[in-house]
Amino acid sequence: MQSLAALKAATKEALAYVAAQPGVSEAEVFAASNGNLTARLNYTSHIPSTGVEEPKSIESYGLGIRAAFRTPQGLAVGFGSEPNDLSLEGTRRALDKARQGAVRDPEFVSLPKPTGERPTLTGKYHDPAIMRLSNPRLVESGWRMVEKALETFQSSEDLLNLAGSRQGLRDLGLILGGDVVLLQERMAIASTHMPKVQADESTMVMSFATAMVESQAAKGSGWSVGRTLAGFTGDSAAQAARQAIAAVGGQRAASGRYRVILGPQALDEIMEWILMPGLHLSTFYAGASPFMGKLGRTIAGEQLNIYDDGAAPDLAGSKAVTDEGLPTGRTDLIKDGVLTGLLSDYYNTQRILRDAKGREKLGVDPASASQAIAPRNGFRPGNGGGRNFESTPGTTPTNLVIQGRRGYSTQELLRLVGDGIYIGRIWYTYPVNGISAGDFSGTIVGDSYIIKDGRLAAPVKPNTLRMNDNVLRVINNILGIGSQRRGTVRWSSDQITWAPEVAVADFQLEEISEYMERVY
Amino acid sequence: MPERITVEMLDAMRPKLGALVTGQANKLPGLQYCDLRIEVREEKGAAAENGQEKASAEDYAFDFGVRVIAGARNSAAGYYGRVLGAADAANIESVVWDGIQQAHQRARASARMKSMARRRFSELGESLVAASLAPVPIAQDTVPAAYTIDPRNVSLVEAMKLAVEGCKLVQAQSSNIGYCAATTSTFLLRELFLSSQGADIDQSFAQTEGFAIAICGSPHGNYDIYDSTGHQRGWELLTQGYRQGPIVLPNFMDFCRNLGATAAEVAAAPPLKPPDKEVVVVTDPHFNTLLVHEVVGHPSELDRALKYETSYAGRSWFLKDLHDNQLGKQIASPLVSAFSDPTMEGYGSFKYDHEGTPARRAYIIRNGVLEEFLNNRQTAAIMGVAPNGSARATEAHLIPLIRMTNTIFAPGQQAPQRIISEVEDGYYVAGHRTPSIAESRENFRITAVKVYEIKNGQLGRLYRDGGITSDTRDYFMSIDAVGNDLRVNPIPNCGKGQPMQAKRMSNGGPTMRGVARLTGPG
Repeated sequence: MQSLAALKAATKEALAYVAAQPGVSEAEVFAASNGNLTARLNYTSHIPSTGVEEPKSIESYGLGIRAAFRTPQGLAVGFGSEPNDLSLEGTRRALDKARQGAVRDPEFVSLPKPTGERPTLTGKYHDPAIMRLSNPRLVESGWRMVEKALETFQSSEDLLNLAGSRQGLRDLGLILGGDVVLLQERMAIASTHMPKVQADESTMVMSFATAMVESQAAKGSGWSVGRTLAGFTGDSAAQAARQAIAAVGGQRAASGRYRVILGPQALDEIMEWILMPGLHLSTFYAGASPFMGKLGRTIAGEQLNIYDDGAAPDLAGSKAVTDEGLPTGRTDLIKDGVLTGLLSDYYNTQRILRDAKGREKLGVDPASASQAIAPRNGFRPGNGGGRNFESTPGTTPTNLVIQGRRGYSTQELLRLVGDGIYIGRIWYTYPVNGISAGDFSGTIVGDSYIIKDGRLAAPVKPNTLRMNDNVLRVINNILGIGSQRRGTVRWSSDQITWAPEVAVADFQLEEISEYMERVY
Repeated sequence: MPERITVEMLDAMRPKLGALVTGQANKLPGLQYCDLRIEVREEKGAAAENGQEKASAEDYAFDFGVRVIAGARNSAAGYYGRVLGAADAANIESVVWDGIQQAHQRARASARMKSMARRRFSELGESLVAASLAPVPIAQDTVPAAYTIDPRNVSLVEAMKLAVEGCKLVQAQSSNIGYCAATTSTFLLRELFLSSQGADIDQSFAQTEGFAIAICGSPHGNYDIYDSTGHQRGWELLTQGYRQGPIVLPNFMDFCRNLGATAAEVAAAPPLKPPDKEVVVVTDPHFNTLLVHEVVGHPSELDRALKYETSYAGRSWFLKDLHDNQLGKQIASPLVSAFSDPTMEGYGSFKYDHEGTPARRAYIIRNGVLEEFLNNRQTAAIMGVAPNGSARATEAHLIPLIRMTNTIFAPGQQAPQRIISEVEDGYYVAGHRTPSIAESRENFRITAVKVYEIKNGQLGRLYRDGGITSDTRDYFMSIDAVGNDLRVNPIPNCGKGQPMQAKRMSNGGPTMRGVARLTGPG
């Protein structure tokens, strides 16, 4: 990892160089250093396995330059980057690429300028221990999860009774999969519009575990997210194993419309893949949101509130400054069921302000909605997270928070449902007829239960129910929203959704794969 | 420092890095195996939106990845990956050596901890085994790229012109198309694979790709559609198109024109109201491209079958364990055969995979019987079979995963028109859109671009927002006609792994007929 001081010095020096070059009208220098350290897990009791399968890392650092150039045909804007070289030579190479690739984009207004908002997340919030993580410590974090799961399996009386003997435990088909991911992120940015170098340093540790008692078709999940190594315990693997053991004896449920409770992971997946793309300003620009022309109007049940807050001091996805050098902050997206804001970056905010169809697309004059579409989410995520110097900014959520007008306890939600299904974990949930339609389909793969008389009555057998519904119907059929939120982890991403349990009426489920009962 | 990074720079690095891997690395304590993948990609691309220039770039990618297997009885693997820049070219040996040492430290640490876990968990620890690789022929080879127009000779102006013109052509198909974006890209890639066992493989690839998306207004709701074209060829793919055997790819202008016309036609069609029963469906080659990808290719990946992807990409209903599985069993109609073949032409072609294993055709399903999984050296060792060359990474700093290559339903005998004409009452499902597949691939829902009624052997009314859903085996067993019109199409973005890798490959199939339930909106 490059030090923050090195990134700041390079950014300052590079900006001075770039700004002085002929033809440069405005410029921005973004320097970053990233580490993604991952240990992938694969334990199977009935098949040879290696436990910690992939202890690995990806490292990168470098400079990215956005610049506008004066040309005889008008302003041209380009981007170039150079890895592993923070010197003036690296700057020159990146600038040459930006100049060579510059295009005349008529919708380009300017590189980011101050928006009037001020950063609220200050001070150090990264963990130096993650920044200097050793190879044995990376490997140990993976093995810690494996051992936590095996401890749970081995000490389970329920499994021992099922197996008949300790030797027989192996034949139950005990599985642990998942990973622990540690992110090291450092960045610095400065531009001709904001010449003072801003820098940020963040760390994150995320774990996700899936455990199975496969002979019993029982699956459970566990996960954790935090900023510090000390906060990582590996208990997510034990949680997954406990959930898998609890899921033994899973039952099928018939096709039909149900009252359901969406657990945090299930809610997060529907948010990530189905709802959130429609709450990006760029989707409105393209005309692909299900909420075209509805800014300021009711789009969901009045209990629903969703906001993104990249500056919340106590949430793991926070960052002090965006990858455009602008302050992070809170954007209320849905407030009491009303569409109140959209996620955006600087480019998209600027172009909707000048879009002749901007009022039609949003439903209000964009200029009158400047707070609702402020560019608080311009980031350059790499693959699996990080702050990637090799790409231009796009719109990315940080901490997505879902909450109800009134918070219900789990018991209250169960009573609201009465008879129905608790959906804990879903999979492959896609917008099958496009984002604007809101239709989605996916399958229930674990952590799910049949609810009877307001109580969890029996586990749902994984891979036996398919969801076929519409997100617009879901957000308008909310019965209640839980008071407890949990940070949920997304595959190959460092965005965190702080999701509660949500009870929903009239949710369509189809029974599937009955033939599998006879295959094995 | 070189003025620019080029594929030719690997010439000078090849012998030095080979000596590092076969010599110096072999002296590391407990090292059993080491491989190095290093690559240079020279690439160009352009993007347009609504007929306006948005971005263009000419750049390089230079990166490497290392795998080490080390340790005593319970040996383990360690990995290291790094993005490189021009500044690293002069001291590449020391940069790579640092990576080898880091991977070696991880492998040894993991081997130690595995031994401790085996001791601590006496029964459950027994399945923790040493990392071992099935043997493969050790190759030294150089494989050139195939292209007519060298990607390096394409100007950014030309790349942008094609993107802008393509975008305009999409929008010219209908005034209801309110948004369009198009991208063009081309690159020359050179990969070195060097192993401590003596492999020294130098493969080059040209790849060229185009993409377009259209959003079309309609009283039935805005309709979005996107598609890609691409092949392992030079820039000529986009300017002239490509037609060779089952690969029929239009030039980029025609590709964009077709996409825009389809968007306008489908957006105006009424949404499908699916009957509440199973119906006869005839699926076209483009739809079957995604079908074979999702419900044949993915469950045949042995890492999934051996539970390695339980947490993310999913398992496979083809295998419960090493003794109880579907190998040798009838899982589809005898008319159904499917194979994965990197030696045939396609977007997933190569001579050696990223473990240095020679490529060959692997029959996944032959005459309806499950025959073979796609594997890598480690999973092949667990299964006790020979590696079939299916391990590939998206970039060198990422770990090779078991991947489809050119994975297709084999063609049959019947003319597609005949297959439709035999249907008295059914539906013709054309063009793939979006999949949602069950975790072990035992059930699927895949939406289509177009769904037509078939009445008395004739195509009737067109519907939008339709698709099919079925339990996988039931659908496979219901196939009663397979066409002779095989088409192989590019799939540019198959996601797998953690961090996720988006890989290019080919999939395809002929027209097929089976029984499934239709899906509609909601």
